[in-house]
Amino acid sequence: MRRWIWFFLAVLVGIAGGLYYGWQINPVKYVETTPATLRIDYQTDYVLMVAEAYQAEGDLDLAARRLAVLGETPPAEIVRQAMIYAAQVLYADSDQDLLGRLASDFQTWNPLLGAPTP
Amino acid sequence: MSDERGPWYLVTGLILGAALGLVYAWLIAPHTYADTSPASLQLEFKDQYRAMVALAYLADGNFLRAQARLELLKDEDSIQVLNEQAQRSLSEGAAPRESQALGLLAVALGQGGPPTSSVPLTQALALTSTPTENPQPSPTASPTVPSPDPLTPTAPTNTPVAVGTQSPAISRTLRSTGTPLPTRTPTPTLGAPFVLKDQTFICDPNLDGPLLIVLAESTTGQPLSGVEAIVNWEGGEDHFFSCLNPELGLGYADFAMTPGVVYSLRLADGGQPISDLTPAECETPRGERYWGAWQLLFTRP
Repeated sequence: MRRWIWFFLAVLVGIAGGLYYGWQINPVKYVETTPATLRIDYQTDYVLMVAEAYQAEGDLDLAARRLAVLGETPPAEIVRQAMIYAAQVLYADSDQDLLGRLASDFQTWNPLLGAPTP
Repeated sequence: MSDERGPWYLVTGLILGAALGLVYAWLIAPHTYADTSPASLQLEFKDQYRAMVALAYLADGNFLRAQARLELLKDEDSIQVLNEQAQRSLSEGAAPRESQALGLLAVALGQGGPPTSSVPLTQALALTSTPTENPQPSPTASPTVPSPDPLTPTAPTNTPVAVGTQSPAISRTLRSTGTPLPTRTPTPTLGAPFVLKDQTFICDPNLDGPLLIVLAESTTGQPLSGVEAIVNWEGGEDHFFSCLNPELGLGYADFAMTPGVVYSLRLADGGQPISDLTPAECETPRGERYWGAWQLLFTRP
């Protein structure tokens, strides 16, 4: 009986050691990730890049496709989240304006029609 | 009997436990899967991220911001990666604007700063890609950049020059110096089609196979980026652009020819087509044969 107790204690110690090694010493390194897993500041900057390109190109469909890599959330919501974060960390006014314009255009954007509806 | 087994059961328990712990830590509940950085993205998404950096740079011309964004991807050689992606996106039929943005950003990185231009990048791009735009004279006339090509005025013939002599006419390294993007110079006929100024057959053993080289420049000798060349052959067509190899010059574009195929080339902006372009060989003094290149110099009158 005592042997079993010691055996299970050894198993527990092994589990603890395995967890410590797997979480702390050599945790899983993520490669091949998608933009949807990016940290919020990187995601916001990506949305800002889309807004900058949209300002020059004026193609809302293209902007929507570019935002689609950030997940299945509607593009208007993605831009809204980016605006919130940009306001929190005090992005430059010009950058916030760009995000605001893109968000505004997405409010009237119909993905089926492709163009903003009045 | 059981006493004879000694403490090995403890080792067994430890190993079993460690295995269970690792399975849980690595597979069932790994440390984190959110809050990743751009450097960890899949190659496909890295390309997309890089393209967005270039397009944003094209839109706002903020070089420092573009540089900082590129650094997030932790590319070993950003310039090379940008150039390769520009070539790849062209061959995959992506929007030319994206390829050109990537090329322009590579140029800017190569120069260590934004290109010297009196116009925003978006206008500079439009200037080179849409010649129908009405040119606006720039108050700052850019200095004339002498062409680095010691081109000799040879007659436009498609017959290769004498085999056995290596032409010193061009060295790819000659074009590695950074040159400014074409500025909006007051040339009232900017929208006019290009004309072939010179056609030369080049023997240079450093070239990669039979090449069709297009050099596009303004009347003042400034290389023009983003000029689209269309090459046709029996059963095929391809497009390529200047500035995709900025280390060879902003006006430089090349196309790898296939031996035995006859090509014709024209620029998308119009102008005369050049036909009967076939790969030809050169020969070193020791009798070793290698492929030469046709170099076509176009200028916009």
